[in-house]
Amino acid sequence: MTGASPKKRMMSSQLPVAVLLLLSAVAGAADEATVTAISGDTGEREPLLTVVPLYPEKARRARVEGEVQVCFNVSRSGKTSRVAVRRSTNRVFEKTSRDAVRASTYRPLAANKELSGIKTCRTFRFHLSPVAIELPEQAPG
Amino acid sequence: MSILPLQWLPLALVAAGLWLVSAGANAQQNTTVLGPSNQDLYAGANALLAGDAEEGVRLTLAGLKHEGRGRDRLTGISNLCAGYIMLEQLNTALTYCDQVIEENENHWRAYSNRALAYVMLERYEEAEQDLQKAEAIADNARTVKIVRSMLLDATDPVAPQIVIDDRRQPEKEDDE
Repeated sequence: MTGASPKKRMMSSQLPVAVLLLLSAVAGAADEATVTAISGDTGEREPLLTVVPLYPEKARRARVEGEVQVCFNVSRSGKTSRVAVRRSTNRVFEKTSRDAVRASTYRPLAANKELSGIKTCRTFRFHLSPVAIELPEQAPG
Repeated sequence: MSILPLQWLPLALVAAGLWLVSAGANAQQNTTVLGPSNQDLYAGANALLAGDAEEGVRLTLAGLKHEGRGRDRLTGISNLCAGYIMLEQLNTALTYCDQVIEENENHWRAYSNRALAYVMLERYEEAEQDLQKAEAIADNARTVKIVRSMLLDATDPVAPQIVIDDRRQPEKEDDE
């Protein structure tokens, strides 16, 4: 298991004003996502920079959770290409997942190793966990 | 008092002001009409949409002095509710929202704005009741959904969790 990875903000510039106002208000909350990275038998390529997708604000507001598997090629230098969603439970998570993979990199392949044509896949699971509310103290009766 | 960041507040006026502004814009496009019938109400709505709550409320109050009855007047009152929410004068805002709802029980914008005021006052049960009414009338309205999420964030906050799984996953066999 590896630790949390660097984050990268991705925002659409074509959102209506109302949504922009909303996003600016909650961007801080979105940045505080807890990240868990699971490695293991990941094939021959080792991740170098893993970019974490943003939890889409639209999904968070609507309390939507989901999962996306993205498959892609990794070049000899470690760049990702031909990034495509293989399966997804909700389209709202697809763009942020693709963008995260496109911005991620792998360790360059050693000179004595051959480049495999096998695609690499990464699965993102988007969850929402309840946060305890601190209740106000009751006024003495 | 407020549990919400100030950036949320213009959402309320977006809910209230759009109709008035669009009415003015349409009038300007029509060569046979010189402009909005009530310049103060129109300017007030624009000021609110621009985030200038004080000017928006001032102009809207001025506009309402010359407005008898009808849709423009009701929209102006609804905008006052939004404007006072922006100014965080929530009890004043409630009186204007109440007035709109008294005159038109299907005014979903007023229910939505009043729900927002209730959320900010931490009167969550009343906010829930108003949101249910707004949703019954305008289920797909974006502002209603936003206020719903604000209520949820206040009563049932959630934190995003993202799991990145790089393990190879076996191919799923098709179900027979």
